[in-house]
Order: sequence, then C-alpha cells, then structure tokens
Amino acid sequence: MGTYLLRRLLLMIPTIIGMTLLVFVLIAASPGGVGAALNVSGGGQMESGTSKAQQQAYLEDRYGLDAPIIVQYVRWLGRVSPVKFGERDLIAPTGEVVRSPRQIKAPMAWRRFVDSIPDANAEAYAFDEGASDAEKSRAYRLASQAYTRVRAEYVLSRAGYEQAMGEGLRAVGLRRYANRDGTMKSSTPRSAIDRVADDSEQGPIVQAAFDDAMARYVEAITVRGELQAVFDARPFRPAGVPLIPGMLSVATPDLGMSFARGRPVTTLIGDALPVTLLLNLVAIPIIYFIAVPSGMLAATRRGGLFDVLSGGLYVALWSIPIVWACVLMLGFLANKETGLGWFPVAGLNSVEGREMTWLPSTAPDGTRVHGFVLDTLWHMCLPVAALSYTGFAVLSKQTRAAMLDNFSADYVRTAKAKGVRSRDIVLRHVFRNSLLPIITMFVSIFPAMLGGSVVVERVFSVPGMGNLVIEAIFLRDREVLLANALIIGLVNMFALLLADILYAMADPRVSYD
Amino acid sequence: MSQNTTTTRVQPLESVTGVQLAQGIGHRPTKGFWGEAWDHVIRRPGAIFGIVWVSIVAFFAVFAPFMASGFPLIERTLDESGAVTGVTYPLLHQLTATDILLVLGSFAMIPWLLLPFKMGRSDRLIAAIMLSVQSGMAVIAASIVRDVVSGRDVSNRTREWEQAVWFAPTIAAGFAVVAALIVFWVLPFQKILSRIIAATVVAAVTAVLIVATWSEPLGQFDYRQREAGGQIEAARTLVPFSPQEGATDRDLKPPGMSLGDAVGETEAERLAQSDDRFLLGTDSLGQDVLSQMLHACRLSISIGLVSTAISVVIGVTVGALMGYFGGWVDLLLYRVVEIFMAVPVLFLLIVAAAVLPRNTYVMMAIIGCVSWTGSARFVRAEFYKLRNQDFVQSAKAVGLPLHSILFKHMLPNGVTPVLVDASFAIAAAILAEAVLSYLGLGPANQASWGRLLSEATNQVGDFKWWLAIFPGLAIFLTVLSYNLIGEAFRDAIDPKLKKARV
Repeated sequence: MGTYLLRRLLLMIPTIIGMTLLVFVLIAASPGGVGAALNVSGGGQMESGTSKAQQQAYLEDRYGLDAPIIVQYVRWLGRVSPVKFGERDLIAPTGEVVRSPRQIKAPMAWRRFVDSIPDANAEAYAFDEGASDAEKSRAYRLASQAYTRVRAEYVLSRAGYEQAMGEGLRAVGLRRYANRDGTMKSSTPRSAIDRVADDSEQGPIVQAAFDDAMARYVEAITVRGELQAVFDARPFRPAGVPLIPGMLSVATPDLGMSFARGRPVTTLIGDALPVTLLLNLVAIPIIYFIAVPSGMLAATRRGGLFDVLSGGLYVALWSIPIVWACVLMLGFLANKETGLGWFPVAGLNSVEGREMTWLPSTAPDGTRVHGFVLDTLWHMCLPVAALSYTGFAVLSKQTRAAMLDNFSADYVRTAKAKGVRSRDIVLRHVFRNSLLPIITMFVSIFPAMLGGSVVVERVFSVPGMGNLVIEAIFLRDREVLLANALIIGLVNMFALLLADILYAMADPRVSYD
Repeated sequence: MSQNTTTTRVQPLESVTGVQLAQGIGHRPTKGFWGEAWDHVIRRPGAIFGIVWVSIVAFFAVFAPFMASGFPLIERTLDESGAVTGVTYPLLHQLTATDILLVLGSFAMIPWLLLPFKMGRSDRLIAAIMLSVQSGMAVIAASIVRDVVSGRDVSNRTREWEQAVWFAPTIAAGFAVVAALIVFWVLPFQKILSRIIAATVVAAVTAVLIVATWSEPLGQFDYRQREAGGQIEAARTLVPFSPQEGATDRDLKPPGMSLGDAVGETEAERLAQSDDRFLLGTDSLGQDVLSQMLHACRLSISIGLVSTAISVVIGVTVGALMGYFGGWVDLLLYRVVEIFMAVPVLFLLIVAAAVLPRNTYVMMAIIGCVSWTGSARFVRAEFYKLRNQDFVQSAKAVGLPLHSILFKHMLPNGVTPVLVDASFAIAAAILAEAVLSYLGLGPANQASWGRLLSEATNQVGDFKWWLAIFPGLAIFLTVLSYNLIGEAFRDAIDPKLKKARV
C-alpha cells in the first residue's frame, strides 16, 4: 500500500504540471494575450500621452509577460512549487513575498550604437546594528519604489526607441522587419539596423531615441543594483524552512497577485472556496438521502411501477440543462413580478444579513429577526436545488444496478433458502454489499458539481469559486485562473486517490500491492 | 416478449424438423449484432420518442432556410399602376453552399438508404456518412479561408487576391480534391471505379456550389418598406422573419404580437405594417424567436455530431495505443488522460472558449478535444483484454502493419461501449453548448438556443418567460432524446441485462 501511495503521489506531479501548462498555454494563446485585457481593465496607472505600444511594453514588463511563454510558465511554477531552489525569498511583515529584483533587458541592438554598457557597481548595503523592522522595511520600500519608477521610465523610453526604429525601418523600405504595432522585430539583422542608423533622415531620430533609452537603462541598472544591495542585506525574515541552506528549501506556495483586482490570489480563493464548499457539502447529502433509498426501492420492485416511473423521472431530470433549471427557478420561484417571489434572487445573504444575530431572535423593538443561519439557508435553497437534481439520476441508477447485481448472487439464494426475512436480505446483505460503488460515486459526483457550480453561482450571483473563475476569464486574469485550475485539479486527484483507497479498504479482494 | 409483435420483417417461427433445419428450411438469416440491437431499441417507447424528436430537429436543420426567412420567396416588382414588371427570387440568392448541399444530400439519402440494393445497408450508411464528411470538410475549409481573407485587417495584397477571378475556384477545387483524396481511401465500395465516381461527383458538386455562393450577399431587409409603399409584391415563407432580422423598436415583444402592433405608434402606421406575427415573441435585438429557434436546429445537430465524432476519434486512437502497447506508452498517455480528468470539463471548456475565436467550428473542436477521456478509457480497457487473444497474436505474427492490427482487427471487437456512449456524449455536447452560449461564450452571429435562453434574465432582474420556456424546452427535449436513445442502446447491448430478461 505504501509504495502504491507513493507512486500515485509522484504521478500527480507530472499531471499537475501538464494541466497547468495546458491552461497557461491556452491563456497565452488568446488574441492580444493577457496584456490586452489589462489594457482594458486599467491594470497599470499610465500617464497620458504614452502610445499604445508603450503602454503594452509597460504592462508586459510589469507582469513579466515579455519573456517566452515557457519561461513565464517556469517562473510561475517556481513560485507555486513548495520546494524552492537557491537562496530563500523573504517575507515582508505584510505577508507579501519579496524576491530579488528581476533582471532588465538592454535596448535592442545596442551594440550598433555603443561599445559597452557600464557595469552597475552598487556598494554593499548594511543595516545599522539593531535597526528595527519598521526601519528595514522602510528602507526596502524606498529602494523598491525608486526602482519601480526608474524601470517604468526606462521601459517607456525603450518602447519609444523601438517604435522609432520600426518607423525608420518602414521609411527605408524594410517594413518586413517591423511588427504590426509599429515596433521593430527582435530578429532584425544588423545590416537593416545599419541602414536605418546611416539614413540621413531617420538616423538622427533613431540616435536620439536610443540615447534617451540608453541613459535611462544605465540609470535603471544602477538603481536596480542599489535595490539588490538592500535585498542582500536581508531586511525581512526568510520564507519557509531550509533543507540545504542556500540551496533547497520548503515554503508555502505563492499563488501570485490578481492582475485585475490587485489582491493576492490566496485571499480571493480564501473568500470564495468556503462558499462553494458549503453549497456542495449541503447538496451532496441531499443527493444521497434521496437517490440511494429510491434506487434501493427500484431494485427491490424491479420492473414495477415505481421502478419505471423513477427511472423515467431521473432520466428527465438528468436531461434538464442546468442553465434552464436555474433560469426557470429564478423566473418562477424567486422573481416577485413574474413568479412567486418565495426565494431571494441573488447572493448568499441579505443586505442586512451581516448585522443579524447568529440564531433567530427577537429584536428589542419586538420584530422577529430570522438570524444569519436561517437567512443563509434561505438563500441557499435554489442554488442547492440546482446543484443536486442532476446527481439523483446517476446515483440512483448506480445504486439500483449494484443492488441488482447482488440480488442474483448465490448468497442471496442461500439466505432465502434459510428463511431470512426479505427485509433483512435487502438491508443487511444486499445493501451492505452494494455500498462499494455508492461510496466511490461520491468521487465522481464531486468534480462534476464543482463544474456545475460555475453556472449556478453565476446565475444566482453567489460569490464562490465559479463566479471567481468566470470573472477571471473575462478579464484574462491569469494568476486567478491558474490557481483555480491548480486547486480544483489537486482536489479532484486527491478525491480519485481517496476513492481507490476506500475501495481497497472496503473490499478485501482489492489490493494494490 | 416475442419479436413478431413489433416488426413485420420477422417471420413467425414455424415448427421444423431437424432434417429440414439441416436443409436450411425455416432458417432465418441473422441480422447481425447491430441489427439485433436496433430491433431491441425500437421496441422502447422512450427511444421511439427520441428518434422522432431528433428527426424533427434534423428536418428543421436541413429546411430552416426555406421555412423561416425575411427574404421573399418570390418578389414581383410593380410599376405605378400596379402591373407586374419583373419577378426575382431573393430567398434563393441568399442560400449558402451548406444550405443547398444539405437539401441535395438529404434528398439523395432517402432512395440511397431505403431502396433495395445488393450492397448492405450499413455499408451504404457508412458510404453516405463518408461522402457527407468529404463535402463538409471542403465547405468548412473554404468558408474558413473566405472568412480569413475577407476579414478587416488583411493586407492589400490578400484583398487583391480575394477579389481576383481565379481565387474562389482555385480554393474550392483545391479543398474539394483534397477532401476527395482523403475519403477515397476509406469509402466502403468494392470496385475502385465506383469509389472514384462517388468521390469525384461529390467533389465536383461541392466545388461548384462553393464557387457559386462565394461572395456573401448583403442582407438588406427593406422589402417590408417597399411592400408597404406599393413598389413590390412579396410571397414569403411560413415564418416570415430571418433570424438576424431585427430592429430595436420591436425588442422583447411577447408571443403572438404582430409586426404592426410592435412597431406602429399610430393606427395608420400599424395598418401600413404587415400583420405578420412573432409567434414566439422577439429577443432583446428585436429578432424573431421562432425563426432563430428553427435556424438553431442546425447548430444543435451539428455540434452534437461533430464534436462527438472528434472526441471519439481522439479517444479511440489514444485508447487503442494505451491498451495495445501498455507499459510506458500507457503510463505516459494515461497522464494526458488524467490531466483532462482532473480539471472539470466545464472549466476547460470555458477557458478555451473564452480565449479562442468565437466560431462554430472552433467550438465543436473545443468540445471534442476536451471530452475524449471517456472513450479513451473504454477502448483502453477493451484493447487490454483483446491484445493477448489469438487473432491479434496471429495478425501480429503475419506482420500486418500496426494501423491494420489496431483499427481493422481489434477495433471492431472493442468499439461497442464507445458507440453506445456516443449517444450520451452527443447529449453532453449539446448541454455544453447551451452553457457556453448562456455565459456569452458561444459562437458570434449564430442563432443558438443557449443564447436565446441567456436573454430570459438580465442584470436588472427582468424575466421574459417566452425566452426561458421555448429555447429551454428545445434543449431539454433534444438532450432527453439522445439520452433515451443511448439508454435503449445500452440496455440492448448489455449482455447482463439481456440474460436477465430471458
């Protein structure tokens, strides 16, 4: 069993990598990439007067989108992986993970204009003996802000230079080296750049743009050196637990920041996951309490009226599109004008729900307050109903089939021959032997319900994982989507593993060794 | 339960002696595996309902352009005295290559499948499917090329090409020939000559139709104004609105309202407008719901069939490789299966649909590429059992090529569970389309039941019952039909249940 478990756990790693890579590539392949949606959502504060290419360059630099996809993915993997290589990251008192500042690219084709780039020799930085945490983080923050500003200026200037170069290339008739957005291609050969730089008209423009970019680049690497020095002085406590000091450590995964909302993904998921789990954990017992007895009844009266009717009803329920069920419930049960108005239309709590007492009570002025718990339950009625009705068919059918399998077994005939009461045969013999597939069904229902939550939460405006995913998709919020894929995938794979273990525990004939 | 109560083809059993039996007297030819299964299926009322409903949807999928259109069937131009000066047929000019091919194909299909030929009926069905696929591939490829070259941000050179005389015929002929060459190898005709003739005829018809319908006619819906002004006289189809024909002044009208009541402010205006009715109301763009629902039948049928076909092809190939080779091939490919199993299908679908172009074909491909794990696992299990059997070992020993062993010898013995599951997969694909369209991720500019359903509710909390009931019911009945057919097939094929029934 132990080796089997270890094998399964190790095999999860390639699956997780493949799965997140799939989502990563899909998002990166979307038209305009992640940056397109950032532009729309105003992901960065931009001065007016910057061109579109400059804005794009700024955003790409800020979120590290200018690197090749595979590099970006490996970076993400490095952040998420609980096992870290190299020097440990630091954790600021705010809980934010602080890394050593990223390298910065020199202007394209700088060798044409200058012979060498000056080295950035920042002096080693040391905090005063006994400097307080607040002083240290202030020093780091100042250095970091300075670097952010200088870097942004450089990136804008570099984009301006690339654009000037692109225009120059067009002007001298080499438009094949210009990108669609007007910048130069990174693969432009030296001869083409020479032609632009030697051109009597374009040469001075390009030269001026380059000089500006180069000056800012030198400034940027200088400030970066200073920030690196502050970082090297270790202003904060290091993250995680070292395994081999300086080489290998274990730390909590960092899921990154949401592009669109500017909040850590961990917080977003921390808010949303309990809501989804609450809905699902209420719905699953309901499915079991209705489907298992009806499946048993159908099996014992096989071919009878109940069997036929329940079978037909469940196929019909199973065929109802979840969107339709949600819309009908919303229109006829929740809407006050067109329907009965029995249930709330949206959300998981009333507006006044936050101020309510936990349990039902009477307010000082004599009005009844139905309390937070009842209010939540009332709001959950329709979403839970929408989540659970499709599960009935699958589970009831499974129960019925498992029971029927066992009814034709030899031990049932023996029990009958012995004169065991038929109730005891059903409950104590057949049902107990049919439990196995019923238990493991849980595992296949659960992922389907996580998927179903997407629709239900969207329609009923429940702030759960499904809603988070949909919003993240419309904003191309890569970090949120990846984190969701990771968490849902992990949950599902552990559920599958759990099913196999349960199987082995419940059935002595199954063994994995 | 005896067989002779339901089907006429089955002869009642007569008592025969052993000698007569040996002479072949009283011998009933067996119908084969699928024939027997079919006989079981059509005894189930649920399955009959399913087949009838799917046939109705398929009928509308073929004939919707001829039944619901804002373009007059016949347009007579009138001069000032009211005399007819000319006759045109605007509806016919609006037809696309797909419309015409579907009508031609369905008319050809009936005698081809029903008349008694020497060739087996299942072979004929396979041939018909192959030829439809051939024609469909060419049309789809050509339409993708057309959309690309006539897109907004293409270079001037591409635009010149697109307008050149030679461009459309070259593209059409090229794709038709490529599709014919692909299908030629798998056509189930005995004689090479009949294969060549069939593939060539289909290719020629397809190419001609693609060229004839290459330039998309502009949709001008000013016939009603001209009719009201007495300039023309028009004869319209049964449902007198096109799915895209909308105006903001007639949005969200309830069922039964006439066009005049919907847009006319004064009595005179109302009288001037026609009394064509929106039998199922209109949506938020003022488009007729009934017309959209009829045109959406095609999307519903095609998305179910095509995406399931894609998923079966991927699943069978991957599953066959896993089951046949085992070992590290299995280990590696099973990780891929696990990747798709670990993420809920809906999550992947939504991500993929959101980032890829909004297009019917892309959506079919997405649904197909995401939902193949089921058939891969079925085929893997079957092949795992089959690979040590004698006929496979001897096929290997003879030195048959791998694709022959896998797909010619092993697949027919292991494909049954996949085909039975396909009916449920079609239902699931239709549900997936409904969800995607509901979330606003469906194909753009395409009538779809899911999109109509999504307009039933809005952010403000309005609820339009006719936009909830009719499209929802259509999706529900279609999904239910496929599920009922699938259940009937599964029960017919499941040996355990059959044994229990006797």
